Amino acid sequence: MTKLMEWLSGLTVLGVLWATVTFDLLGLDPPEAVLQVSWPLPVFLLVALGCFSLGTVGYRVATFNDCQTAAAELQAQIREAKTDLQRKGLRF
Amino acid sequence: MASGVDQAVGMGLVGFSLLLFIYYTLWVIVLPFVDSDHVIHGYFLPREYSVILPGIAALLLVLFVGTFIAVVMWKNRKPKKTQ
Repeated sequence: MTKLMEWLSGLTVLGVLWATVTFDLLGLDPPEAVLQVSWPLPVFLLVALGCFSLGTVGYRVATFNDCQTAAAELQAQIREAKTDLQRKGLRF
Repeated sequence: MASGVDQAVGMGLVGFSLLLFIYYTLWVIVLPFVDSDHVIHGYFLPREYSVILPGIAALLLVLFVGTFIAVVMWKNRKPKKTQ
């Protein structure tokens, strides 16, 4: 089974479970609080995923490891290479 | 070490997403189990908005991304060269 089919079948199973609880398809009569939690649940999971993604991006931006000395060294090497190649006839 | 601005922006994003997550979790998961005459219900909109507002936000995001792509593609169009 391809990954797509795996994901789709997993999502379908979860979707059926959610619909069964939310729309009371088996006549189980869940308590009012459970119904109130259940029906926004897919949107809640999406929002939670969005928050997690945003937080991870922010954290990675804040802890990114700039190497100032390596950057300066690289810039110097680029200038050196440019002058060298220009002398040898390559036009930029 | 990331620059000062980078750190501020990054931690700001972390804080914002954490606040949003906590508020939304309280709204969707915790509030139904709290008595309806508790004072905390005054800090949250009716439950319908917990689905409508993220829907609108998602729509705005898609519009923004689409507009951005359209603008960038428009700027990068090259006129046909005459030989």
